[in-house]
Amino acid sequence: MKEVMLDCFGEACPVPLVKAQNKIKELEIGDVLIVQIDHSCAMKNVPEWARKDGYNVEVEEVDDGEWEVIIEKTK
Amino acid sequence: MADDKKKFFDRVKSNEYYVRWGKNAFPYVTAALLLSLFQIVTLAVTGNPWGVSGTFAYWGAWIFKAVGGSVDKWYYFASTGAQATLEKGILNHPESWRNIGIITGALAATLIASGFKIKKIKSKKQVVAAVIGGLMMGYGARLALGCNIGAFYSGISSLALSGWVFAVSLFIGAIIGSKLLVKYFM
Repeated sequence: MKEVMLDCFGEACPVPLVKAQNKIKELEIGDVLIVQIDHSCAMKNVPEWARKDGYNVEVEEVDDGEWEVIIEKTK
Repeated sequence: MADDKKKFFDRVKSNEYYVRWGKNAFPYVTAALLLSLFQIVTLAVTGNPWGVSGTFAYWGAWIFKAVGGSVDKWYYFASTGAQATLEKGILNHPESWRNIGIITGALAATLIASGFKIKKIKSKKQVVAAVIGGLMMGYGARLALGCNIGAFYSGISSLALSGWVFAVSLFIGAIIGSKLLVKYFM
């Protein structure tokens, strides 16, 4: 069980999504991936993809215009 | 006093209507309906279908003129219509007002959602890609006499075949673009 931070600040769509998709493949079941984003459209497509793949997802607003998408690799 | 202010904004932040209208993004369907509605309004009021990028060419021409240049001999601005638009100036150009509205509206929306942030430039690669991409989009939009709004959206919504031709090309371009993006940006 580890927590991995993925810094996607300053990256525009669809870079955060593709980075998150690549990163989660390297993780083990039970690991948590935290995607840091500041592009509001990534706040839509990253959680959408993760939920569709059946992972547990939470979005947290950490600052003005900054979010963390917390994805638990459940399977 | 400062405490009162903080309490007020805390209340606003959790207000159901603020969250729904100001904070969260509208669903795609709502946005699509609003776009359709406003493009009908724009066609009715200005007599021209909605377009965005053509205006930037005029902005460029006005800036060029302001610093002493002349575009009178340029093929792109040679038509009497284009010359008349240039003559009337930005204040009498509905498309300019609409673009200014889009920019200020987007700023207002992000401020209301308290999501405004000046983003850091992460790498030189980003700068290079943005400059090349911007030049290609701007140049391509002028060659095609329209961008994804003027040629694609307004084309299809006025039942023009050219809109569909643009759509197919746009799709092919998007596929190539995403392949390049994944290759060079991941």
